[in-house]
Amino acid sequence: MNLINHLINGIHVGSIYALVALGYNMVYGIVKLINFAHGDIIMAGAYVAFFALDAGLPTVVAVAASVVFCVLLGVVIEKVAYRPLRKSAKISLLITAIGISLLLENVAQKLFSATPRLFPKIISGGFYLGDRQISMTTIVTIVVSAVLMALLTVFVKTTNAGKAMRAVSEDTEAAQLMGINVDNTISMTFAIGSGLAAIAAVLYCCSYPQVYPTMGALFGIKAFIAAVLGGIGSIPGAVVGGLTIGIAEALTKGYLSSTWADAIVFSLLIVTLLLKPSGILGRKVVEKV
Amino acid sequence: MLNVTDINVYYGSIHALHDMTFHVNDGEIVSLIGANGAGKSTTLKTISGLLRSRTGDIEFDGHSISRTEPDVIVRQGLTHVPEGRRIFLSMTVEENLDMGAFTVREGKKQALDDVYDRFPRLAERRSQIAGTLSGGEQQMLAMGRALMIRPKMMMLDEPSMGLAPILVSQIMDIIVELNKAGTTILLVEQNARLALKISHRSYVIESGRIVLSDTAENLLNNDQVKKAYLGG
Ligand SMILES: Nc1ncnc2c1ncn2[C@@H]1O[C@H](COP(=O)(O)OP(=O)(O)OP(=O)(O)O)[C@@H](O)[C@H]1O
Ligand SMILES: [Mg+2]
Repeated sequence: MNLINHLINGIHVGSIYALVALGYNMVYGIVKLINFAHGDIIMAGAYVAFFALDAGLPTVVAVAASVVFCVLLGVVIEKVAYRPLRKSAKISLLITAIGISLLLENVAQKLFSATPRLFPKIISGGFYLGDRQISMTTIVTIVVSAVLMALLTVFVKTTNAGKAMRAVSEDTEAAQLMGINVDNTISMTFAIGSGLAAIAAVLYCCSYPQVYPTMGALFGIKAFIAAVLGGIGSIPGAVVGGLTIGIAEALTKGYLSSTWADAIVFSLLIVTLLLKPSGILGRKVVEKV
Repeated sequence: MLNVTDINVYYGSIHALHDMTFHVNDGEIVSLIGANGAGKSTTLKTISGLLRSRTGDIEFDGHSISRTEPDVIVRQGLTHVPEGRRIFLSMTVEENLDMGAFTVREGKKQALDDVYDRFPRLAERRSQIAGTLSGGEQQMLAMGRALMIRPKMMMLDEPSMGLAPILVSQIMDIIVELNKAGTTILLVEQNARLALKISHRSYVIESGRIVLSDTAENLLNNDQVKKAYLGG
């Protein structure tokens, strides 16, 4: 192993962090909620893909099923659990999110038991770049993530729905006065974030092929750290944060030891926030007078 | 054009508006005047659907809108320039105007040209980030943004706030021009003299109640109003 390999590995896992961090940041940007249940959406997506593949369905169908399920789950959670609390204190919303997270983990435990399931191999092979071997999983992960992020950027910049998202996240009331339907915009944000989480789930399982009820917890926390590191609420921030965490982790594992990886990730977060409290690309919050 | 009947609005247990009834006729400039905390902004927010009244009804252009969502009310041609302007500070001038036209499907380009004609300053600064505009320019942008839907009626919440006197009279002139061009206006002002000068009729609000209503001319000569709102 050498530096280039570590970097490629870092970009590989960082892309997955970025996809998940996007969900945290889009939701935070729009409802100012740290959606603690977001990590568990990954778990749900992984189970759906696992069972679909296990039933012999083609990969594309399994991925699509996972996306559809997660989108519905995300939208329903927002409607049922978060929407009624939108006007209450932020802390109630936060605690509800933690509650939903525990609920999802426990339901999964009850339904599927805590025993990990082995996710089947859906991507195989690799190729040589000079004399360096790169696995197909790495290529697919990086390419799929990059394409999704590019599509998301275009979507937010150019479509009416994307404009509505930007307006609501900057000033919800003013957005309403422009004729933007806030409820629909929030639903759409949860839908997109959860859809991205489903794809992240499948990509994650391609590299770490174990599906179990709490798999989303630690991964979710790290993606959340990526979100905060990049700048909470910022879409490009999620990408920068995800890649930074991924690369830092890969370098630590490569040159130090795996046991240090998490400690380094957390330290990176603390140091960054000490230097720049709003994160790498975060905007300073404009105080409204 | 607008009929507000017997509305009562609460913030939690605070009773902010009491049995408020007033109307605005087609083509009028009507103002609501009153001191800090009287309930002027609350009234406008209730009309545009951001707040709900527990009682009574609000009728706009022949339809009841007291249970209508804010985005639908905008589509019916009622626009609200909120207190403090509330433009999108991180977006450019033109992006702000584009947000104003969110519900507009046809004639967007024409609406944009019209706004730039009315506010040449905005045209010069079309790609400037709105947060870096001066206060007067921000107020023009807030008004321009609201005009993108070619509203039947426009509600303005303290458009003079924080502006130099010369800018204030410019803004007031623009309101009069808009009205002459056919837009009905509901104006909220703490600066009563200013509001009465350009209004046809006016309502005086105190602690969430309408305590007086008359033509602007009569109110300007009313002793009570002179003493309380016009500085003697
Ligand atoms: N979000 C809120 N929560 C609780 N009370 C509120 C809220 N907004 C306004 N109020 C109260 O409602 C009353 C009316 O406020 P409102 O903002 O409508 O006054 P205003 O006439 O617009 O005043 P100003 O001229 O200062 O803008 C005030 O007593 C105010 O304290
Ligand atoms: Mg006010």
